[in-house]
Amino acid sequence: MNPGVAQPESSAAALVQVRGLHTRIGAKTIFDGLDLDVPRGSVTAIMGPSGTGKTTLLRHLTGQLRPDTGSVRVDGEEVTKLSRRDLFALRERIGFLFQNSALLTDFSVFENIAFPLRQHAKLPEELLRDIVLTKLQAVGLRGAAQLMPSELSGGMARRVALARAIVFDPMLILYDEPFVGLDPIALNQVLRLIRTLNHTLGITSILVAHELAAIQKVADRVYLIANGKLVAQGAPDELARQDSPWTRQFFGGEADGPVPFHYPAPDYATELGFREAHR
Amino acid sequence: MNANLRRNWLLQGVVSLGECGLFFVAVAGAVPKSLRYWRELCRQVWFVGAMSLVIVMTCGLFVGMVLALQLFNTLSIFGATSELGTAVALSLFRELGPVVTALLVAGRAGTAVTAEIGLMRATDQLDAMSMMAVDPLAYVAAPRFLAGIIAMPLLACVFNAMGIFGGHLVGVTWLGLDNGTFWGNMTSTVMLQRDILDGVYKSIVFGGVVSLIAVFQGYTAPPTSEGVAYSTTRTVVFSSIVILAFDFVMTAFMT
Amino acid sequence: MNPRPSYAIGTGLFILLGFAALAYLATQTTSVANIHSGDSYIVKARFQNIGQLKERAPVKIAGVRIGDVQSIQLEPQRMDALVLLSISKKYNEIPDDSSAAIFTSGLLGDQYVGIEPGGSPTFLKNGDEMVLTQSAMSIENLIGKFLVNGGPKSSSGSSAPASSAPPSSGKP
Repeated sequence: MNPGVAQPESSAAALVQVRGLHTRIGAKTIFDGLDLDVPRGSVTAIMGPSGTGKTTLLRHLTGQLRPDTGSVRVDGEEVTKLSRRDLFALRERIGFLFQNSALLTDFSVFENIAFPLRQHAKLPEELLRDIVLTKLQAVGLRGAAQLMPSELSGGMARRVALARAIVFDPMLILYDEPFVGLDPIALNQVLRLIRTLNHTLGITSILVAHELAAIQKVADRVYLIANGKLVAQGAPDELARQDSPWTRQFFGGEADGPVPFHYPAPDYATELGFREAHR
Repeated sequence: MNANLRRNWLLQGVVSLGECGLFFVAVAGAVPKSLRYWRELCRQVWFVGAMSLVIVMTCGLFVGMVLALQLFNTLSIFGATSELGTAVALSLFRELGPVVTALLVAGRAGTAVTAEIGLMRATDQLDAMSMMAVDPLAYVAAPRFLAGIIAMPLLACVFNAMGIFGGHLVGVTWLGLDNGTFWGNMTSTVMLQRDILDGVYKSIVFGGVVSLIAVFQGYTAPPTSEGVAYSTTRTVVFSSIVILAFDFVMTAFMT
Repeated sequence: MNPRPSYAIGTGLFILLGFAALAYLATQTTSVANIHSGDSYIVKARFQNIGQLKERAPVKIAGVRIGDVQSIQLEPQRMDALVLLSISKKYNEIPDDSSAAIFTSGLLGDQYVGIEPGGSPTFLKNGDEMVLTQSAMSIENLIGKFLVNGGPKSSSGSSAPASSAPPSSGKP
């Protein structure tokens, strides 16, 4: 269908393996046979136009949402078939950074990070405090431990959420739009954190984002998803050189191309005088 | 067209009733697990119960006062003002205490619970919990549900006590009834089992119903500010209807 | 673990206050005699007409509550009402020739069973039947009597049938 389409190289070292994923939500097809591999220890970016189900993909990986058919393997476990108990056990090894940080509004920064520890590990208070402060130090917010989430700026909240996501030293972190709504300074701080976590702790990272410049700085691989399928993949600069309508549009910053920017916008292209909207 | 719309509306009602029933089963199933989060339960009892005390006590006082005033006028027609204490106590214990308390709690705590859970849903906090391997049904829904069941009868008792106090204030202090008659006739007629405990059972049921509706509405609120506002309204509307309907059914069964 | 001890204190105080209110209601607005006590014995009484008497209505001697009506059934053969009275064990020295009558408290109040003590040296036991009973006065009968007799002399008797009217025995 497209020159940019490539099959993912299968790899034994893949931490996340998605095969033949089909998902429909309501009448809308989200995934139509998606295959995808994420190697261990890499930073993988997933890009695509709005509404292509990038966030849905993350939810499939954590088992919050089950696909209609297809297999999702994380660290060798078939997520789609796990029982609730096993799923919860798996989730303790996965960090998830929500788009709007999702800090618990009733708790202070400190208690937010301590929350998963208190729920799953019976730790002495001093040890718990040390762990929490270590994580806060890692994101540079040790001084903000006693603030409430409402007192934090967007960037700070994102970093607190990141500290909470890494509190169990997970093998995998999923970032859902980590750069949205951040000023350049905060964006660079988050960027630095993602890189540091990946390089120093070897945590595999999957991030869903739109910010090209940021992704080029941090990602090892980029997967481009559109219309429920993988349409292009490769290292960021490699992709940028690829000559397909998809990558041209995405990396060339063209206003229109095979992907209509706004879903659904079938007449956008015709209105601009282009040949036709891609369907 | 019109009939079609109405059938659709009816169908929607049946569907959401079914969803609410399933949700009740899910929450009830999560109750044993939620006992682990007794601190959260404690916090919710504090929120639903202790934070509603001021409004419940104030309203109880005024309801008792107005009841005494109204009943005094009616009873004086029959020359039976000596039964004022009895009439105030029975009206409060059997009906007004449980029902008005439940309506007040639905308005104060129920809406707050719906809005809170709706916002937690909208800001992904519920998903975040489930990502941290904490079941939001057990950590968020069940404690609030239990808190309603625990707090409501206690609040109703406080309401009743304040109502008796208000009735006494009007009847004895203001209208000049005999203090001994007021209490004596009340104590000789009011029965612990039939009057006080039946009221308590009622408010236990009301507590469960109100908090279930509040939690359910919050849980299923569309994750937008408009959706949360709408669900909050629905909590009050549905709670009020269900409280009064249940009140009728339970009264019919109890007497 | 120290998430806000203030919640715990507030909650504890609230629960204490709630139970205090319940205890206050239970002790101050009811009398202890109204509590349905387990220790009681059953006495039977037959009435030709029980009027508005209901289950759980009080049973009184000299106006003091000593028990309540446990059940009311129609006895098909004799076509009268069999009323079981549950009387507290505390009052176990009621003479067995006492009579039972159905009274109305106040003009429009609830009906209750009043027991007029007799003089027998033996006492009612569990399962005994009270032979002397007087049915409820119905307003219609009273008005009827008043109209037939037409005199104010009998009106005093019919408006206060309670204590003065001699108890008539039930069906022989």
